[in-house]
This record gives sequence, structure tokens and C-alpha cells, in this order.
Amino acid sequence: MSERLSNAPTPEGEYFESGRFAGLSVLLGVIAFVALALCGAGAVIDPRQFGYSWMFAFAFFFTLCAGCFFWTIVHYAVDAEWTVVVRRQLENMGVLMGIIALFFIPIFFLRHHLFDWMNIPAGTEENLDSKRAYLNLGFWVVRAVFFLGFFIIAAQLLKRFSVRQDKDGNPKFTIWLRRVSFISLPLFALCITFAAYDWFLGLQYRWFSTMFGVYIFAGAAGSSMALLVLVITALRKAGYLTNVVTVEHYHIMGKWMLAFCIFWAYIGFGQYMLIWYANMPEETRYFLVRNTESWWYLSMLLVFGRFLGPFVILLLQSIKKHPHQLCYVAAWTLFMQLLDMYLVVLPALHGTGIHLSLWDFVALIAMGATLAFAFLRIVGKTSLFPVRDPRLIESLKLVN
Amino acid sequence: MRTPYGHEVYAMAAEYPSPHALYEAAKMVRDAGFKRWDVHSPFPIHGMDDAMGLGKSWLSAVVLIGGILGISTAMFIEFGSSWGLYPLIVHGKPYDWKVVPAFFPIMFELTVLFSAFAAFFAVLIMNGLPRPHHPIFNWDRFARASNDGFFLVIEARDPRFTEVEARELLERSGGQHITIVHED
Repeated sequence: MSERLSNAPTPEGEYFESGRFAGLSVLLGVIAFVALALCGAGAVIDPRQFGYSWMFAFAFFFTLCAGCFFWTIVHYAVDAEWTVVVRRQLENMGVLMGIIALFFIPIFFLRHHLFDWMNIPAGTEENLDSKRAYLNLGFWVVRAVFFLGFFIIAAQLLKRFSVRQDKDGNPKFTIWLRRVSFISLPLFALCITFAAYDWFLGLQYRWFSTMFGVYIFAGAAGSSMALLVLVITALRKAGYLTNVVTVEHYHIMGKWMLAFCIFWAYIGFGQYMLIWYANMPEETRYFLVRNTESWWYLSMLLVFGRFLGPFVILLLQSIKKHPHQLCYVAAWTLFMQLLDMYLVVLPALHGTGIHLSLWDFVALIAMGATLAFAFLRIVGKTSLFPVRDPRLIESLKLVN
Repeated sequence: MRTPYGHEVYAMAAEYPSPHALYEAAKMVRDAGFKRWDVHSPFPIHGMDDAMGLGKSWLSAVVLIGGILGISTAMFIEFGSSWGLYPLIVHGKPYDWKVVPAFFPIMFELTVLFSAFAAFFAVLIMNGLPRPHHPIFNWDRFARASNDGFFLVIEARDPRFTEVEARELLERSGGQHITIVHED
């Protein structure tokens, strides 16, 4: 019910011309190739430090991809309208999970440098022996295959059905996608929770926190919404989606960023306060490392930068309705997610303080460039928004 | 303004067949320059505030003030008692600023509580509630506003209001059952 119907998009959809960005694509490919080659060297020169650096980069990009996957299944599960015009980009980033799964292979080979529990023989540590039913190599590999396999298969189904609907607009695909999403919702919750336990919590096997899975999820959902804002804005800057995505969509994306900024703080503080208040030695070791020495400064930066700053800024309606300004907040949120993952992974190695390594950057650039390269390859193959989605018109006319 | 029979006039009102018709009518009334008028529908209509030219509500500012008052109150009673009046070591925790995580739950709760109170009472005051009776109920058809009726009411106290102009505008916008509503 608005005046925006006059500029309805063409039924053919909009297509990203990969040729226009061939230079960028080649540049990213070269960077990715060089950085990955350097990574190979790093794995040989300093496997322990490199393993943690790689794990840090993996945590960052895995949470982003999982978050995009989450928003896609939520879209179908709740039959949302506003997401339709931005959904194709969420699908595109979701299918990158296939490459994330490849990035897991080095973690498998470097596992003895990362996961101390794998190096301790049975019978030496009673606490660990009581966890052996869960923490054993065979089950750990089976779980990893299951988590990544689920993400890959479900993300591919979401993308394929959605693309097939572009051709004929058959509403049966929406029904199928809804079924995929209903099945995926509980599986997603289990996968991201136990993946967080296995890969990130497992770095400090003596520590335990039932909140940790939700904590990783909260960061993933919020930062992937920030990533979506940046990707959509980049496409609009390149001249696409200009009549399709409006300030109303930005407003909603901003609201979600605010919501998950608060949710992240709620979960993070809920996890911290109970452990801090009870003050039991076997629980406090995780935060003890992160609250002492130079790590303390980064932890404080996280409190203010991930929560307080964006919270106050995103409260303003004018920011959320201003794409340019929202992009600054989104970029900052992504940076804070990076810091968050750094604080989850690296203190497990450098218990005595911040120790920046060259490999932190190399691993991050290698993964980022590879994923960006793959994204540029994928994005041009289909329309930039689902052209025959039954709810497209509602999404175009969105007012909130 | 009075009718020939001596009744004080409250407003000129019309009924519309659909939310869309009401939405379009609202835009016409807005563009005609009326200020004191309102629409009534059984459910919220997206975009109606724009169509009515309402602008941003002041409610959020009131709620923000409520929230700031809430967090200040919590900080005052917590820091005041723990640092100033009775500095005790409880649960092995110090009583300097590092103990602040223990205070966060109260700060959060009072922020939410005061914001909710501010929102609740501000909504009542801004809408002129509680109000036992309203002149618009003198119109029988208006009972359907909570069921399936869509209404637009231009009040007589609007400076631009004249009987002829208001009636003509409502007719032009597709209003049905156009009527004058009495004040009493």
C-alpha cells in the first residue's frame, strides 16, 4: 500500500554482470592463491601458531556463513515478506559453506596442535576420561562431517529450489523450501551448538559452559545481518537492486542488527556473570585468561565496541533509515565479530597476553579472498533477487 | 459551529469500504491541509502514518527518558549503598568499580521497568485517556470500527473546517454514509 508500485522490477530479474568486475575477480583470485600458498608454508614452519590462526579465521567465516543460512531458514519458517528481495544474497552466502568445509581439512590435519585432549592418553586425567564417550577422535570426526554435511546439503537445497522457482514461479517450491526449513531449524540449532563445543570450546577441554553454543550463535546471527547490509549496499553502489531494496528494508535490517547486538550482550553477560559470581576454579579459567594481561584491553573493547556503542547508535531510527550510516555500523559490527572470534580462539594458545602473528592475517586474507572470489563467481549466475517468489510484491511494497 | 437545530457539531465523518480506500482517502485529506482529523480501523494499516502525514511520534523520546531514569536510579541505589553507605565485602568480591557486573541485572531490570512505565503512561496521556465517552460514539455506525468498519473523521475545530468543504472532500475521496456527528 504505497506509492512505490510504479517502478516495479522487470520480470526477467536483474543479473550481475561478472564481466564488469573481471578485474576484481582476478585480483581476488591471485590474492587467494598467494595467501593460500603462504598458508601451506605456515602450516609447515609453525604448525601450532598457524593452526590457531587458521582456526580463528575459520571461526569468523564459519559463523558468518552459518548466520546467513540461519536467516534463510527463518525466512521460510515464519513466511516472512521483507526478506524476499534480499534472500538471494543470503542463499549465495549460505552455499559458500561448501568452501568452508574445505577449510576444515587443515584443521583435521593440525588437530594435534589445536586440541590438547587428543594428545593425552587415556588414564592420565580423570576429568578427561569421564568425557571420553564424547571427546574421542572417531566421534569427533563423525560429528564434524555431519555438521558440515548438513549445512552444505541444506544450503544447496535452499538455493536450488529458490532458483528453480525463478523460472516458472511454481508455488510448490515455496512449500518444499518451507519443509526444508522446518527440518533445518532444530538441526541448525544442534549443529551450531555442538560445532561450537567441538571446535571452539574444545580448544580448552577443561572448561565447560552450556551457554557457549548460544553465544556463538548470537554473534553469528548479528554479524551475518551486518554482512548482508554491506553486500546489499555494495550491489546497490554497483547499480543493481536500486528499485528493489528500499530504505524500509534497511530499516528492518538495522532493527535486526540492534536486536542481535542486545541478544549477544545478554547471552555473553549471562555466561560471564554466573561464572564470575560463583567463582569456582574449574569454571573461571576461560575468563581468567581473557581478563588478565593485555587480553583485558581487548575484552573491554569487546564490551564497549560490540555492545554499548552499536546499541546506543542503533537505537536512533535515523541511522537505521540511512543506508550509508548503517554501513559504518555494519562494518564495525563485522570487525567486532572478528575480535570476538579472536578472543575465543587465540587466548587458548597465548595465555600470557596478546601475541599477534603474521599467520593470523595470512589465514584471514586467504579465506576471505577465496570466499569473495567464489561469491563473485556465484552471484552472476542467477537473478539478484527471486523474481517469481509469491511474496515478492509484498516485499517490494514493504512499509514499516 | 452549530446545526440549525442547535446541536454543537463535533465532526464530519465518513465510512470507507476497505482499508485501501481509507488509505487513499487519508492521503487526500492530508493533501487538502486538514490538521485535526483521524482515521479508525479495526487493525493497524501499514503506512497509514505516512498517508496521514503524522511524522515521528514523541513517544520514543519519553521512553528513552524513562530508561535513563531507570538506569540512573539503579546505579544510585546500588553504588550509593555498596560504595558509600555500607562498603562490605560480600562473597569475596571487592567493593570498587570492578564489582559492577553484579549490578548489571538490577540496572537492566530497572531500565526496562521504568521504560515500560514511561511508555504506558505516556501513551495514556498522549491519547487523552482515560476517557469514559467520546462524541464520535453518537454515530451508530461507528460501533463497527472495532469489527469491519473503516472511518475517517474530520473535526469541526480544524481551522479549515467548513461543512461544505469537508462534505465535498469526503465525497470525492469515496466516503459513504457521510454524516455530521454531534458533540452531545
